Amino acid sequence: MKVLSKTGFKYLFDEMPDLRIVIFAGKGGLGKTTSSASLSYKLSTLGKRVLCFSTDPQASLSDIFERNLFGKGEIEITRNLYVLEIDADKKIHEYVESIRRKIKDMYKIDEIPREVEDYIESAVAEPAMYESAVYDAMVDVVAEGRYDYYIFDMPPFGHGIRMVAMADILSRWIDKIFEARREALELEAAAARLKGEKLLEYEDQMMKELEYVRDRILSFSRLISDDKRTAFIMVLIPERMAILDTEKAIEMFKELGLRMRGVVINQVYPPWLLDDPRAPDYLKKRIVTQKPYIREIVERFRDLIVAVIPMQSREPKGLEAIKFIGDELWNSSIDISVLEALGGR
Amino acid sequence: MVFTLSKGGKGFLSKIKDALSEAVYGIALHGQVSAIKRMKMYTEYLFMLMTVGDMLGIPLVPPYYTLRLLPYMVPNIKSWKLRMLRERDVTDIITG
Repeated sequence: MKVLSKTGFKYLFDEMPDLRIVIFAGKGGLGKTTSSASLSYKLSTLGKRVLCFSTDPQASLSDIFERNLFGKGEIEITRNLYVLEIDADKKIHEYVESIRRKIKDMYKIDEIPREVEDYIESAVAEPAMYESAVYDAMVDVVAEGRYDYYIFDMPPFGHGIRMVAMADILSRWIDKIFEARREALELEAAAARLKGEKLLEYEDQMMKELEYVRDRILSFSRLISDDKRTAFIMVLIPERMAILDTEKAIEMFKELGLRMRGVVINQVYPPWLLDDPRAPDYLKKRIVTQKPYIREIVERFRDLIVAVIPMQSREPKGLEAIKFIGDELWNSSIDISVLEALGGR
Repeated sequence: MVFTLSKGGKGFLSKIKDALSEAVYGIALHGQVSAIKRMKMYTEYLFMLMTVGDMLGIPLVPPYYTLRLLPYMVPNIKSWKLRMLRERDVTDIITG
């Protein structure tokens, strides 16, 4: 992997001319949502149409933009900047309701048979359900293609991401399923011909559904494994746990056949404060405490560092703060040489 | 088959033709048709195993997507589960 000439997303976009999708991944609370919002804002100020997509049930984007956006669809925040904070639980609920309704309509029944209802309930309780719904929504917005850039604030990973590793196997399985289905259909047709009956019209629709399912799973897999168009970015902070988690995540990505394009280091104390006589000792102590972790990050992830966000004096809220962080993400004032000096000092 | 000589209905000859074709079907084709139907049932069960196998603990397609196929399988689910489980373990029928 090529090391960026300088630190900042500007250089990542320079190096990846086809880059359209940035996915911020990793644990909660480290600055994923802030990074997503800030990078989206920055891109929008450069005249690009950007969609910032989040699925956080805590509605963090609503907090950052100080507006209730949760479950409200795509909303234009400023010129060119659109935000979509989906309510996955609501989406699942509506989806399952539509399935129930379909069953009732198809068979003209008032109540779903016990064994079918059991299945629906256990499917909804499945933790992967939430992730699948989110990924499905991601495929939707990208497929519509109404934006220049898509910035995703990914939910912490669970079992659902396995779908990527499974996509290939799944696709082959679905081919087999098609075969079995076609065979069943031929037999059905043969029996019907012999008896002079008509075939049920459902058969065709079922094949169409199956094709749709395969298409969705493959689209998602393509979307996140295309390393020219998509970049996975992890956000971490100079602390032991975050460093270990990032390493584990990179490992997991490898196993799934995905590539982590880079890391963003958040909450870094600007080192020049050390030389500022006005800076209190307390602050200088904090800077020194970060030192070994900065060194560790530089040693372990040197090739992956995309951007650095300096520690903020207040909570990142509102467009003002987003603008500042966006500029830092774009062209970091704390670049790799500063980090190296900081870690080595 | 009941023979009636109603004026609005089919003619006598065509009734005989129907009866004959039923008889021919019964003698020559019924065995074949039921064999085909049985095979069709097995491929149907195989199909369900591949798609909604998670009902029996064999997950393959994410449930978010299998739900889309569920409506079409409704009439077969009960007999399918019984059959799949019966062929493995008798106790599954009692508990499941």
